[in-house]
Amino acid sequence: MKLLSSFVKELTLATRSFYFYIEILFAVVLLAVVLFAIPEQIRVVQTQVLYLDLPQPAADSLTADLLAEDLDGRWEETVLESGDDRFDARLFETETARVYLVNSAEAVRDLADTKRDIGMVLSLDAAGQLHYTYYLQGYESQRLQNLLSVIPAASLAGMAEKIAGMTVEQLAPDQVLLNDRENVIPTLIAFNSSFMGMFIMAAYIFLDKKEGVINAYAVTASSVARYMLSKILVVLLTATVSGLIVTVPVFGFQINYGLVLLLLLVSGFFASVLGLLIASFYADITKAFGTVFVVLILLMLPVIAYYSPGWNPWWIRIIPSDLVIWSFREILVENGKTGVVLLVSAGLLAAGCALFVLADHRYRRTLSVS
Amino acid sequence: MIHVSRLYHSYTQDERYAVKDVSFEVPKGEVFGFLGPSGAGKSTTQGILTGLLKLQKGDVTVAGYPVKSMKNEMFNRIGVSFEQSNVYSKLTARENLAFYRQLFDVTTRDPLELIRLVGLGGKENLKVGTFSKGMKHRLTFARSMINNPELWFLDEPTTGLDPAIAANIKDIIKEQNDKGTTVFLTTHNMYIADELCDRVAFIVDGEIKLIDSPKNLKLQYGEKVVTVEFLADGVLHSETLSTIQDQDKARLQAILGTCEIVTMHTKEATLEEIFITVTGRGLT
Repeated sequence: MKLLSSFVKELTLATRSFYFYIEILFAVVLLAVVLFAIPEQIRVVQTQVLYLDLPQPAADSLTADLLAEDLDGRWEETVLESGDDRFDARLFETETARVYLVNSAEAVRDLADTKRDIGMVLSLDAAGQLHYTYYLQGYESQRLQNLLSVIPAASLAGMAEKIAGMTVEQLAPDQVLLNDRENVIPTLIAFNSSFMGMFIMAAYIFLDKKEGVINAYAVTASSVARYMLSKILVVLLTATVSGLIVTVPVFGFQINYGLVLLLLLVSGFFASVLGLLIASFYADITKAFGTVFVVLILLMLPVIAYYSPGWNPWWIRIIPSDLVIWSFREILVENGKTGVVLLVSAGLLAAGCALFVLADHRYRRTLSVS
Repeated sequence: MIHVSRLYHSYTQDERYAVKDVSFEVPKGEVFGFLGPSGAGKSTTQGILTGLLKLQKGDVTVAGYPVKSMKNEMFNRIGVSFEQSNVYSKLTARENLAFYRQLFDVTTRDPLELIRLVGLGGKENLKVGTFSKGMKHRLTFARSMINNPELWFLDEPTTGLDPAIAANIKDIIKEQNDKGTTVFLTTHNMYIADELCDRVAFIVDGEIKLIDSPKNLKLQYGEKVVTVEFLADGVLHSETLSTIQDQDKARLQAILGTCEIVTMHTKEATLEEIFITVTGRGLT
């Protein structure tokens, strides 16, 4: 009864404060970004300016190749402006590039300079060999520069033949990967729903410290543990709602929501208890800001590892947020490993309980900090 | 109801004590005043008695419960009103009290009745954030009564209140005491202490200098005096004279016989004057 009463009070306070709506509002904004700004497959489209300084038959042949790759099978006549100069161009749009075919090498040089696009002039030298001139911008990687150096020397026809002759065998044919839109969801719900709880919990505690109500609670016949639990329940409620706001519209009912709820609850519990513990050491949010910031940065490092598969050192893998992100991913992919999710959930629950005992001890000792 | 023996407390965990060798007892039904200037150790002592500060050294028993192993159930019998009001500003007055009453295992009082008792009738559905400092203070005071406490800790209960409301608060304290509630009153306001307390303790620099009833203190330390304002040679003079010392009595008679009296008041020594005499310190 005391816990229920405290929970209802906390929920009332939360709905009358700013922090409660941050998480929900963020979830709605993130959902809009995911649905309307992130495509299912992200295409990196590069703009290039090309001049074919070749005999007409060769130029026509390469133009035909470009046309074959064009998305709608036809070019678009356009005019490119560079300062006071205007250049006629044909625009070819392929899966990976927007190629402007212009009528002079000067146009390529001028546009590469003013538009900061990659330019290329293809010509024949005196010996009848193809000659490549690139205009790069300086931001291209060394790997791209090396590739561009190698291409003129390589036998393109031979390369295509070799690629066609290669056999690619998929070792896990049942594994269905997430598309680009779905792939961002694990990091979004891990932070906006689960680990945001740490910040929100700390904010709730500092509001209470500011008003001195912790002391008032301490002289009632209710326990400090109930006080903390009532706040945790509110944080878990918002974590669940915000998590489902992002997940349901993207995945529909094709995933195991039992596991989603389990992971949201245990990770939210862990994060909110962490927030409780941090808040117990400081009198106000200004003094706690440094610690909260450092912990948040630490928890965000696994996001970098998530989007950089080649970088995943052992110490990243023991940060709780890394476990949560990859566990959410396991739930979202078809044939994900349920065992991993359950194991991580059990670990987070155990760690959260240990932190809760510690926080309870801290709050009993430091109630007069206000 | 309260037993304190050789209590010490240091915020710096060393020999710099905020409270030093404090011992006293408060029997059931008494109004006990804990008097001293700011920083004397009053709130520290009350903090230890109510469990808000950890007991470091000494024996303390409150309402039969040893503070060292304090149980939550102890607070069913205790009420605490804080010097700084601490109520939820985003809740209404009624919601504040309705929430707190749920945290006790004993019969509690009706929030609306308490709100009206402290003169906040009609404001029960307003958010406390809109209240003045005095109104919040009254609500904090009202909250401390919600569980019908047998032992009532009051920290500066009339601070910041206008005289009429302060008088109302004093009446409520008297009324509760008449019903058998033991009151531990922490204040630096000697007039309130004089009016309400059965016994007072003077505390300065963390040490109790004296414990006695206001009446005994006045008998022991007080002096019957009269303050007279008179005109002599067209100039206004003021003198305070003892009504029991022969020299002053003679002087008073001389003034009465030769000068034009403007005002004349008999005046007992106040508790504040006694405090200054005993401790050598003022109350501010």
